[in-house]
Amino acid sequence: MNSESASALVEITNEHVLENRRLPGDLAMWFFILAELTVFAILFIGFAVSEQLNAEMFIAGKAKLHPIAGLINTLTLITSSFFVALALNAMHKREGKKSAKLLVVAKLVASVYIAVKVWEYLSLFEQNIDIETNTFFTLYFMITFFHLMHILLGMVILAFIAVKAAKNEYNTSNISGFESGASYWHMVDMLWIILFPLIYVI
Amino acid sequence: MKTLHSNKKNTLSWLWLMILTIISTFIGLAIDNKALFIGSVLFIVFLKGQQIIDVFMELAQAPKFWRRLLLGYVTVLPCIIYFIYVL
Repeated sequence: MNSESASALVEITNEHVLENRRLPGDLAMWFFILAELTVFAILFIGFAVSEQLNAEMFIAGKAKLHPIAGLINTLTLITSSFFVALALNAMHKREGKKSAKLLVVAKLVASVYIAVKVWEYLSLFEQNIDIETNTFFTLYFMITFFHLMHILLGMVILAFIAVKAAKNEYNTSNISGFESGASYWHMVDMLWIILFPLIYVI
Repeated sequence: MKTLHSNKKNTLSWLWLMILTIISTFIGLAIDNKALFIGSVLFIVFLKGQQIIDVFMELAQAPKFWRRLLLGYVTVLPCIIYFIYVL
């Protein structure tokens, strides 16, 4: 094959890929994801504006948090998302059992996040800090607890798709449910990636 | 073969995300300037968001509208946050 025909083949392949662009998962799930992203965007902007209005309070509040706990949680969510992506690849190969095992690993890694978050909350409660302490902690508990609820819902969804994957109920033409669950989990990860620097780093 | 490539791409993306996370956590130790520090941290948010959107969510192969919408989120939101903190 000469270079001209090789480049023509690459061009045809690229056109084929572009023509076959497909949204992974159900369209309804993507609208749900957009709604969730919007709600969190309002919370993040509200947090940033409040910080500008109460700078000293927020500096003192952030000093009571544990950045290393936030770092561990970020690393666990990224790793959990990575295993979910691997599980989807396995499912594309119709390896249902392997995919289910990878989802279980993703859930186990995510449970580290929950343990660390609970530890963080308990350590604040021990210092007599709760949601009513001040504006910083009201927003801190509200945003992080709201996110934690999304993690718990995501874990239920991952358990549901893991069971179906183990039974080989997904195939190449019927994988939308799996992709929707995976996309939801990646969204939860993406939200934490914004939340972590906003609350713990900046 | 496609799955092997995807697994490799996911692994590289995961490593890149881990490195970016560690950098963003400790970047404050190296940068004194507030605007530069916040800008750097938020730029890392964009880089990480782009990886999740294109690689983990597989939106690089999705209709352009959806990819642009999600990339717009990790671009516009950090910009808004930057201007709230810096201006």
